[in-house]
Formats: sequence, structure tokens, C-alpha cells
Amino acid sequence: MTSTNGNKAQTPALAVRDLSVAYGERLALDGVTLSIAHNTVAGLLGPNGSGKSTLLSVVAGLRTPRSGEVRIFGEAPEPARRRRVGVVFQEQALDPVMTLWETLVLHGRLFGLGGNTLRRRAEALLERFGLASRQRDAVRTLSGGLRRRLELARALLPSPELLLLDEPTAGLDPDARRSFWQLLRSVREEGLTLLLATNDVLEAERECGTVAFLHDGRLVAQGTPAELKRGLKHDSVRIECVDSDGDGGRANALAQSIASWPGVGGVTSAGPVLHVTVDDVSTFVPRLFQTDADAIRDLRIQPSTLEDAYFQIAGASLQAERAQEATTA
Amino acid sequence: MTSAARTVNAWGALLTRDLRAFFRSRSQLTSSLLLPLMLLAILGIGVTEGLEPTRVRDGDYVSFLVSGMIVMTALFSSTFSSASFYQDRDSGMLKVLLVSPHSPAVILLGKSLGAIVIGSAQALIVLAVAAAIPAIELEWQYGVVVSLALAVTTVIGLNVLLSGLAQVLASRIRTMQGFHLVMNLVLFPMLFFSGAFFPLANLPGWLYGLALANPLTYAVDLLQLALYADGSDGYLGVGVDLAVLGTLALALFVWGMRRHPLVD
Repeated sequence: MTSTNGNKAQTPALAVRDLSVAYGERLALDGVTLSIAHNTVAGLLGPNGSGKSTLLSVVAGLRTPRSGEVRIFGEAPEPARRRRVGVVFQEQALDPVMTLWETLVLHGRLFGLGGNTLRRRAEALLERFGLASRQRDAVRTLSGGLRRRLELARALLPSPELLLLDEPTAGLDPDARRSFWQLLRSVREEGLTLLLATNDVLEAERECGTVAFLHDGRLVAQGTPAELKRGLKHDSVRIECVDSDGDGGRANALAQSIASWPGVGGVTSAGPVLHVTVDDVSTFVPRLFQTDADAIRDLRIQPSTLEDAYFQIAGASLQAERAQEATTA
Repeated sequence: MTSAARTVNAWGALLTRDLRAFFRSRSQLTSSLLLPLMLLAILGIGVTEGLEPTRVRDGDYVSFLVSGMIVMTALFSSTFSSASFYQDRDSGMLKVLLVSPHSPAVILLGKSLGAIVIGSAQALIVLAVAAAIPAIELEWQYGVVVSLALAVTTVIGLNVLLSGLAQVLASRIRTMQGFHLVMNLVLFPMLFFSGAFFPLANLPGWLYGLALANPLTYAVDLLQLALYADGSDGYLGVGVDLAVLGTLALALFVWGMRRHPLVD
């Protein structure tokens, strides 16, 4: 798609500058700036409500931002230019009474395809996605995994150059998920740029060349998974604390104590759960139990992941924001 | 808690949920109260004052009703088709349509075409069936070709108007239930008060005045002139009907197409 054209390769597939979106008074996106290169897989990672879907909906042209700008291959996302963009939405978006064939034909015609070109392309995609034998069936008869495949085939029908995927594997069983990603990887090799919104850290770490962390509508970090994990301690410890009062008090007390220990990196808490990155679990865990064994309900150890990087970066961002608010006040 | 108490508790919870939803839906609340009261007033007065068998041609009420039935068919068919907007929104298809390389107005216009074509076809089928029944005597006073052209124009114009009205409402009302209730609240009185079921000429002055403010009155009048009447006395006239219906249809349709659809 891009390697043979120097200018095209230099222009980002997607450039978002200082983008803000509000739902009423609430800011869903707050000054997000982001750039995605051609022929890459970029991930938007963040919890529910962090602004991932809102960002995709603005790029897709469904929502108008309060301020900022979006450029797709250097151009404003006006309706006529949307033929370069394909979308797979978070919720399934299919007409249950249409057949698979009718679904593709409708989409193709909306995107200006027709005649033999549309027929050949639809047939090829149904064949490639293992849906050819079901093409005369109503969509309602398909399993969740097959519906997702159909949605991917539909998005690819007009040969988009940028594909937006909003949590495309959410709710799929492991087989369907694996099958979906096999198909995505195969189309990726044809030079497509993918923007994947997900809250599945492993999926983002495995599939994405670059990842952007969104937190409360703000972009708090962007880089390759390796860059984002740089500086993290070697191991990650997830500690679930006893929380009989329901206020996370024991977890907070333990977090304050742990934070000053040597060899401890980031400490973040979410209710009764603490995420701690450490140099050496063999010294950290015994000391933890000596300090307050009664507070610990469950403890798990694993190598540091992108999730730890997210918690550390998002937590730091939140702390900086609170400090700034305190200073302003 | 006993098993019976748990069951009653569950019923109480479900009842509370539905009552809360009902009282939170202002459209449901108002239309459920207003509609019966309006029908009582309009239909009651209309039947008492207007439905004197001697006041329709030769006492032939069946033939008189043909125009009203055509308008009623267009009305409900067009409304039903317009509700597909909500099905598309709930199934997610609306988003798929809106991310295509077309403006929202193009998508809405395309969707409205379906409602207009289906509503017009169903209404014209009613006309064809009525024309084929020997007991129904249609006058075709301008000749069959011209009268038929007038009837087809009326039906299409009416469906354009209704499609625009449905789109205006759909862009403001979030739920399909609310849409149907408001449409019923608007459309039932319009239908009963359009001359579809009884002549308007003998109604009290204030009701006749309200009927003149009803767009459907002009559609019924035009159809009566084209199909049923053997003169123009007591009718508004083809020129007035075409001018009012055409202007309103165009205005409402353009207004409806300029509304941005509620995606979620």
C-alpha cells in the first residue's frame, strides 16, 4: 500500500491533533494528539470509558469533535473520503434478516461498487473467510464468531487502507478469537493500517506495533510495547487485599508501606487490588507477609506486562493531575 | 422469606421497574391520556354532526370511504416503514450506513425512499381493489387517466409528507415505543379529522377550522374529487389541495432530511 510511494508513506495514515469531544459537560476526549504510520498496527488501550470508542467514532465520521482536527492520509474525514476507511464496531452491527450475500452487496453499493467487481470481491471474501457455504443464510443463523468474520469481510469489501477495530474480539470464545486474528493478520500482510481499540492488554501487546494509553479521555503515553515497558521492574505482583469495610483501606495502607521499600517500582491500587512491580520477588514476598500477612487474600506473580506499564503510567498521570489541582487550589 | 414472598417481591420489583419507565417516558404518559380524550371529542362530534347518510352521494357510504381508506393505508404503512430507522439504530446498522462515503442527508433520503415507495404501493393497491369491487362506484369525474394521475400524485405527496414528519420525530425521540406513541397521538386525530370517515362540511365552525389546519384534509379532499365526487361543491378544490399538500410535503420532507439522526 505505501512502500512504493514515498510521499504517501511519509503522510501518517491517521493524524489526530488536540482533539476534544464532549458529551454535554463531560469531556470524553481531552486534547488527544496521536499519529499512526502507514502499514502498522496501532492499539488504543484503556479501560471502559477511557475514550477509545469515542476517538474511533470521530475518525469514522460519526461524531463531531468540540475542537481539534483529524486527518486521514492527510485529508479531512469528509464523507466522500470515507471509502478509504473501514470500521468494525464494538457491538455487532448487522441486519439479522438479511443474508450474508445481501449484507455484502448493500455495503458494496454504498461504497460505490457494483456489477462484476462487487460480485467477484464479495465471493472472494466469503470464500477467504470461510463463509461461502452460508452466503444464502440469514445473518441471524450465524454464531457470534461467524458474525464477526462477516463484519470484517464487510469492512474489507471496499478495499479500505485504514481499518478501525473497536474491541473486535470482545465476547468471542478463544477459538473464534484466534480465527479472527488469523484472518486479520492475513489481510494485514496486504498493507492495511489497523487501529485497534481494546482493553485486552495481551492482545494489544501481541498484535500492535505501537500502543497509545488512554485514561479519562487523555492520551497518557504512546510507543511500542517495549518502549512503554522500559523502566518497569522485572516482576509484577498482584495483591488482592482483605476488604471487609469495602473502602480499600487495608490495600491503601499496605501500598503506602510498600512504596518506600528498596527494589520496588510502581505501586498502583484499584480498590482492594494492588499492582506492584519489583526487582526481586524472592525478597519482596517474604517481607510483604512479615509486614501484614492478615491483609493479603490472594497474591500472584508474573513477569511485567504492558498492563503494569499502563497502571504505572496512568497512575502517575493521575497523581500529577491531582498535584496540579492542589497547587491551583 | 418464603417462596411466595419471594415471588411477590419479584413481581413488585418488575412492576416498579415498568411503572418507573412509564412515568419517565413523557411521550407515553401524555399520549396515553390525550389520545382517548381527543378521539372522544373529534370522533364523537364528527359522527354526531357529519355522518348523516343523506349527506354522502346517494347515501353510498362505502364508496365515500374509499378515499379515507387509501389515506389511512398510506398513513400506517409509511409510519411502519419509518420505524425501521429505530430497527437500524438498535441493530447497529445505522452506524454502518452513516460511515459510508455519503452525508447523513443522503442516507436518510435513501431510507425515506423505502417508506415512500412501500406506503404508496400499499395505498394504490387499496385503490385498485376498491375499483375492482362492483359494489363500489367511483366517479372518475375528470376521466380515468387524469383522475388516476391525481390520485397517484396525492398518494405520493402524502407519503413524502408523512416520511418527513416521521423523520423529524425520529430525530428527537429516542425509543421506538415513544415514536409509535407520538405518531399515534398525532396521526389518529389527523386521520379522524380529515374527512376520511365523514364529510367535514357540516361540522361546527371551530372544528371545520381545525380540519383546514390538517394536512391530511387536503389529501382526502383531492382523492374525493378525483375518485368519488360528481362535482366540486362542498370541496376545497384541486388547485388548493395540490398547492397546500405539495408545499407542506416539500417543507416537512426537507426539514426531516436536515435533521441529524440519533445514533445512540
